[in-house]
Amino acid sequence: MGGFFSTIFSSLFGTREMRILILGLDGAGKTTILYRLQVGEVVTTIPTIGFNVETVTYKNLKFQVWDLGGQTSIRPYWRCYYSNTDAVIYVVDSCDRDRIGISKSELVAMLEEEELKKAILVVFANKQDMEQAMTPTEMANALGLPALKDRKWQIFKTSATKGTGLDEAMEWLVETLKSRQ
Amino acid sequence: MFAKLKKKIAEEAAIAPRPGGAARIPRSVSKESITSVGADSGDDFASDGSSSREDLSSQLLRRNEQIRKLEVKLSDYADQIRNLQKIKEKLENALEKHQDSSMRKFQEQNEAHQANRAKMAEGMALALEKKDQEWMEKLGQVEKEKRMLETRLQEMREQSLNLFQKRDEIDELEGFQQQEMAKVKHMLLKKEESLSKAEQELEACTRELTHTKEMLQDTSSVSSGLRKDLQELRQQCLELEAQRDELMTAETNAENKITALELREQELQTVIQQLSVDLQNARVAGSGCEKRLEMLQVEHESLKLEYEQHKQKMTLEYDERNKLIEQLQEKVSSLEKKLERNLSGDEHVQELLKEKTTLEQKLDETRQQLLTDRTHHAETVNLLETQKKELEQELQIATEALKKGKEEASEQDLQIQMLQTDLENERSKLQQQILSVKHEYEEKVAGLESQITALKTSWEFDKTATQHKLSQLEKENENLNKSREGYESSLKKQESELDRLKKELSSRETVSVEIAKALEETRKQKEELQQQVSHLTSLIEEKDQLIDEKSDMLLKKKEELNQLSQDREAVLLQMHQLQSDIEASNSRAAEKEETARKEIDELKLQIQECLLAREHKRNASELEESARALNNKHLHPPENRVMEQNGEVAAADIIQLQKENRELEQQIAEKNKMIKQLQQRMTELKKTLQKELKIRPDSEGPEVREKTNSEVPNASVTVTNNSDLNDSREINFEYLKHVVLKFMSCRESEAFHLIKAVSVLLNFSQEEENMLKETLEYKMSWFGSKPSPKGSIRPSISSPRTPWS
Repeated sequence: MGGFFSTIFSSLFGTREMRILILGLDGAGKTTILYRLQVGEVVTTIPTIGFNVETVTYKNLKFQVWDLGGQTSIRPYWRCYYSNTDAVIYVVDSCDRDRIGISKSELVAMLEEEELKKAILVVFANKQDMEQAMTPTEMANALGLPALKDRKWQIFKTSATKGTGLDEAMEWLVETLKSRQ
Repeated sequence: MFAKLKKKIAEEAAIAPRPGGAARIPRSVSKESITSVGADSGDDFASDGSSSREDLSSQLLRRNEQIRKLEVKLSDYADQIRNLQKIKEKLENALEKHQDSSMRKFQEQNEAHQANRAKMAEGMALALEKKDQEWMEKLGQVEKEKRMLETRLQEMREQSLNLFQKRDEIDELEGFQQQEMAKVKHMLLKKEESLSKAEQELEACTRELTHTKEMLQDTSSVSSGLRKDLQELRQQCLELEAQRDELMTAETNAENKITALELREQELQTVIQQLSVDLQNARVAGSGCEKRLEMLQVEHESLKLEYEQHKQKMTLEYDERNKLIEQLQEKVSSLEKKLERNLSGDEHVQELLKEKTTLEQKLDETRQQLLTDRTHHAETVNLLETQKKELEQELQIATEALKKGKEEASEQDLQIQMLQTDLENERSKLQQQILSVKHEYEEKVAGLESQITALKTSWEFDKTATQHKLSQLEKENENLNKSREGYESSLKKQESELDRLKKELSSRETVSVEIAKALEETRKQKEELQQQVSHLTSLIEEKDQLIDEKSDMLLKKKEELNQLSQDREAVLLQMHQLQSDIEASNSRAAEKEETARKEIDELKLQIQECLLAREHKRNASELEESARALNNKHLHPPENRVMEQNGEVAAADIIQLQKENRELEQQIAEKNKMIKQLQQRMTELKKTLQKELKIRPDSEGPEVREKTNSEVPNASVTVTNNSDLNDSREINFEYLKHVVLKFMSCRESEAFHLIKAVSVLLNFSQEEENMLKETLEYKMSWFGSKPSPKGSIRPSISSPRTPWS
């Protein structure tokens, strides 16, 4: 019964939450980005077996952000979460040049899904604070982003630990989501 | 002894094809050959017997030679035979020893083996019996528990069935309640409609009322406008009065000014008087000053006179002093002259000098006195001069003051005159002004009074007009009030109707409240039932735990069984080892037998050779006998017998050995049979064990199934159930756990997105997934009926697989 009332209130006063998925290979910094966005602090994380879901409010827009674990064994379960997704934040480790190919194939496989046809793609070239980090253009070419058609996408260089670039990326995302509505 | 042996040989010959006959065939062949050899030699002898008598001697000689040769040969043969016998004895001894030792070994091994086997069999049997008993006991216990649990389960099922019946009843009740609620709602809606109609009427009335009120407001606004006009007029009147008052005050001010000016005039006159008095005083002072001046001038003149007198006196004194000095200087000079003259008289001179000094002293004194007098004189002169100057200054000042006073007096006189003229002018002006102002005021007052009267008249006119209007308006107001009262009465009526309707509504509400109470009661009942259900579920869970424990026990027993089977396998291995040992020993025995056989064969060959030799001997003996027959033929028969005895003994020994060998073989065969029997028993035991093992998993299966059925399909159970699934599933158990945990704990909106993940992870069918979605939608939505369990899921009530969601 309590849930009943809460649902009433939520249906009365709650606007529709935007659903965002944070995807990427393991160790790219998805969980750190999620909690950086939510509480604005750098938290110590352990490898996510499963997922984290948090509600993030940015510029009066509520986001239900899902951070899905990126380990190889649980990557096939991403597809279970694709329905009703407004935007996908794809996080890539800028220093991990060895696995950029895997990252690209995962991204391509994800973008081919019918359920994500209308989702906006934001690529975070994360860990830009490291010395040997790839530049965003380099990364965009490595991920084959310029070849994407019928897709709103943008790449941002970010550093979850330093907190740089996240605001610009979220700003762009908010503007794009607002303009699309 | 020999007869026995012969018999045995005959028997052997009768029992021709023995199992090991292949080895003995050559012996029989050799026997035949021996006999045939003997026959051949007989034939030769017969053919020789047909020769002539002459030849007989030569033949005899030859025969004798031959016999000698043969004897030599025989002796050689006998030596050889002896040697051979010796060898044979040695060999026999060796064989016996060997056989004894092998037999002993064999027996020992056999005994040991049998003992071991007996021990093992006993141990195994005991252990198996024990284990069997234990297991039987445990099985009995487990079965008892199982029966108990089954009875409990049946009870639980009955309870759950009752529960479901109750639930159905509750559902029916809820349906009835919903129907009643719907009826009530319908009635409420009707009432609300009538209420809304009445309210509309009321609103129309209120609109009319507001219209009339607006009219009233208009009229009242008109009256207020008139009132405002009146007020304005009053204000104008008041303003005029105020102007009048101001003018009056101005008049009074002017009068005050006039009085003030008069006062000032008086003051000025007094000032003039004072000034004239001052003037007189100043004149008196000036006359005083003049007198003083004159006095001072007189004093000055007297002082001048005194000064001149003093001067004269001083000059006189100075002259006198100068004269004195001159006299004294003359005296000094005279005295000096006297001194010069009176050089002789020193004393006189000295006295003169003394006088001179004294005189000089006096002179100095007088000079000093003179100087002091002079200074005195100068001082007094100075003083007098200063006094004179001061007096002159004072005089000048006094004269100046006098002049000033005179000037002031004249100025003041002029001022006074001026002021008097001004005063007179001002007075005349003021009087003129006052007159003019008075005149103006009087005019103004007259004008204002005329205005006031005009205004008063107009005001009175307005007043009457407004009064008329007011009366009209009041009449209208009364009319409006009447209409309003009418409306109010109608409103009251409608309100009463509304009240009535409200009462009805309240009664309906009470009815609905009662219904709600009933609903709540039913809900409570439901909750109680749910509690019971939860209790029952907890009981079931306890049971499940018990079952789990039991299954654990079973698993332990299985493990024990496995251990036992392992033990058994170890024993089997040991047995195999033993068998292999036996086989090895058998093989060794066989080898030994073979070696013995070979030896025996060799011996047989030797014996055959011996027999051949004997045959030769026999032939020889026959020849000898024939020879003896010819030549008294009695040479060396005992030797031959001995030889024969020896050969027979060896053959008997060999036969004995063969017999023993056969016996041993038979024993080995028996042992082998025993071993086979034991192996058969082992296999039987194995089979029984396997049967038991097979029965166990079968009896375990349904329990597990019951366990899974009795619970909500839990993650761990599913995993154990689907233990045969591929490895990735097992690896993702943690993932599944996390997802299910989140699914249970997170908000509905988030849980809705997780349905797919959960159903993919748990292999839900499409129907199950849809059911989950519907239940979640029902939870999230405001209204909407509870999704009735579909036909495919409804049967789950009969089987205890129902999620209590």
